Amino acid sequence: MRVRGLIILVLATAITAMQPAAMGQAQGPTDPQIVGIVLAANQIDIDAGKAAVAQAHDPQVKAFAQQMITDHSALQHSVMELGAKLHVTPEASATADSLKSDAAKTAAHLRDMSGAAYDKAYIDNEVAYHQAVIDAVTKVLIPNAKNVELKDALNGAAPAFVGHLEHAKRIQSSLH
Amino acid sequence: MTRVVLHDLMLSLLLPAGLWSGSFGAAGGVREPAAGLASQSHVTIANFQFQPTSLTVHAGDTVVWENKDIVPHSVTDSRNAFDSGPIAPGSSWSLKTTAAGTYQYVCTLHPNMQATLIVK
Repeated sequence: MRVRGLIILVLATAITAMQPAAMGQAQGPTDPQIVGIVLAANQIDIDAGKAAVAQAHDPQVKAFAQQMITDHSALQHSVMELGAKLHVTPEASATADSLKSDAAKTAAHLRDMSGAAYDKAYIDNEVAYHQAVIDAVTKVLIPNAKNVELKDALNGAAPAFVGHLEHAKRIQSSLH
Repeated sequence: MTRVVLHDLMLSLLLPAGLWSGSFGAAGGVREPAAGLASQSHVTIANFQFQPTSLTVHAGDTVVWENKDIVPHSVTDSRNAFDSGPIAPGSSWSLKTTAAGTYQYVCTLHPNMQATLIVK
């Protein structure tokens, strides 16, 4: 119970970091910062997926985790390619740093869990995380992206995040 | 017979080499279109969506799903009338329709991706 409370606390912090108010610095993130944030967000879910493939108990949770690795790796690759094409070098930002730091804390707490409790915590995390990413992409990253191709790529990626959220919610309801 | 040969010739010209394909419907399959010359319709898979989300064709027509996305997707009927299996990015899968009906299909890898194929 204490562990679950800690995960929720860490997750809440991570989600707060992704919220428009927290991300929307005075002038909003620059294109290099946006690329850096997207790369960080993708990598977080790839790493979470790798841990879940090894640690999850339920076959559908394992399959979902593998899907997250596949999809976010592909997204990661396309973001890197686009960044290179547009000569946009990813830049660090407080938001990206906060995401990485909070994800590390969440991963540390998930490591101590097992069985059905782990499955539920992982999927709960995925639901909340994807919702936060969708909010950030649609309310902060897309409106602030200056480069048209970057903006289009973010618009194109949004349905993937929505799909992942819906998929995670289906599994979440079947686990409860 | 001429029409069958012509139809096959059209398919061989229109379908890229290595195209995944399948068929479903009446046992034994029907190679001749029910009426008129069979045509080919396309569904694009991009940005984790099927476009169009609803397509109406005539029995005997061929439908080609083109995966223009960056990840694999499948075209799977909810009642198991057809299943493409994973379609790799940049690849296509075709289906020669034979039985009239309304087919709700999904991508099993991304269950929120849903669309309808109506065969008349």
